[in-house]
Amino acid sequence: MKSAAIKFICRILMVSMILLPFQTVYAGMISTDKVAAASAAQSERAAVLATITRADVSSQMQAQGLDPKLAAERVNAMSDQEVHTLAGKLDSAPAGAKNSGWAWAVVIILAVVIWYNWK
Amino acid sequence: MSGLLDGIRKTARVLAGVFFLAGGLSGCALIIPQTDALHRTWPADLAEKAEVPGVPFYPQEDYQCGPAALATSLASFKVPVTPDDLVDKVYLPARQGSLQIEMLAGARGYGMVSYELPQSFEAVLREVAAGTPVIVLQDYGVWPLRIWHYAVVAAYDKTKGEVVLRSGMKENLVIPFSVFEYTWKESHYWAMVTVPPDRLPVSAKESDYLNAIVAMERVAKPEAARTAYATFLGRWPDNVTASIGLANAEYALGRVRQAELVLWGAAERHPESVIVLNNLAQTLSDQGRTEEALQVIDRAAEAGGPFAPTVADTRLAILKRLGKSP
Repeated sequence: MKSAAIKFICRILMVSMILLPFQTVYAGMISTDKVAAASAAQSERAAVLATITRADVSSQMQAQGLDPKLAAERVNAMSDQEVHTLAGKLDSAPAGAKNSGWAWAVVIILAVVIWYNWK
Repeated sequence: MSGLLDGIRKTARVLAGVFFLAGGLSGCALIIPQTDALHRTWPADLAEKAEVPGVPFYPQEDYQCGPAALATSLASFKVPVTPDDLVDKVYLPARQGSLQIEMLAGARGYGMVSYELPQSFEAVLREVAAGTPVIVLQDYGVWPLRIWHYAVVAAYDKTKGEVVLRSGMKENLVIPFSVFEYTWKESHYWAMVTVPPDRLPVSAKESDYLNAIVAMERVAKPEAARTAYATFLGRWPDNVTASIGLANAEYALGRVRQAELVLWGAAERHPESVIVLNNLAQTLSDQGRTEEALQVIDRAAEAGGPFAPTVADTRLAILKRLGKSP
């Protein structure tokens, strides 16, 4: 098991990985996504929360089998609102192509088909 | 595997047909309300038949209908991309599938705007009629089990009552409106399009589409963001956020003078916007017009508001340039 210290360091690294290489900051210019979120009065607090949520979702995506760099890139392509929506739902949100229940579906459908044909 | 899935789909279709017939007795509006509504009143300005030209087909490998559907949508607008390229962007190994939000996010890096459509059959048909293929999320499972699947609507025909999908191993999967709606409604009628930045989806709504562009701006090249904001402003010229976005994109491209002109226009329409004034002052200062910049930033400082700390920083930098103390 990971110690709390390692977990903490991982979080810090994750946050810096998300923020540093991708976010281009121009001196003095207020970015468009901040403007779009400006209706939320405390935009700084919102920005901090968004950063934490991004790190969370990123680690949840790693738990789903992505390497850290890829996970950070993919989370970066989402809007703050999308990150919020996804947080904590990665293992339950619909994932197109396959569902862990498919084997049961096959069994049940076959059973239904057989029952209709041979009853 | 795909043979088996096809089998399941066929069975699901048969079952859907059974439900449809059963629905006919009790009023099918309950089971397929939107198909029912379209049958009653077809919108007068909607073509009865349409096909998006040049929608490619990528037979799907195991579980990878997400990357395949997204590649179909992107490549139909000549984005050079294959499903394999998209596996790293939208496929989630442990889930053996792709999440809806990632389908939206995955297109942005290519400078395309991803837009989630309203939950409406008519909206899907309108996009197809306008030449935009539509990605839909269907459920081929039988309650309570779900088999989620992405497909791309490429054509429809009102007289035959059919839609044509690129789906799985089928290049032209033709299914009745009713069956399509039955398999689609479980995803709460989830549908999305990816459009080039110089194009607007027919069903684009001002605030939703603006959010779609802002989300793209995070990861796309500034050229794409600039085009998208300019196109948006062509339709909604009064939107101040889009003007700020356009100016930011120009600024990111090093076209400071262009950014300044956009912001002057925005400041005229929205004299109360602190952000416009702050960014305008910055562009003026960058061009060495420090006195002008100071006048503008003073207006912003008077207004206050949530961006006051940033405004104060900008003002401080301008004063330093002038060699004055604050």
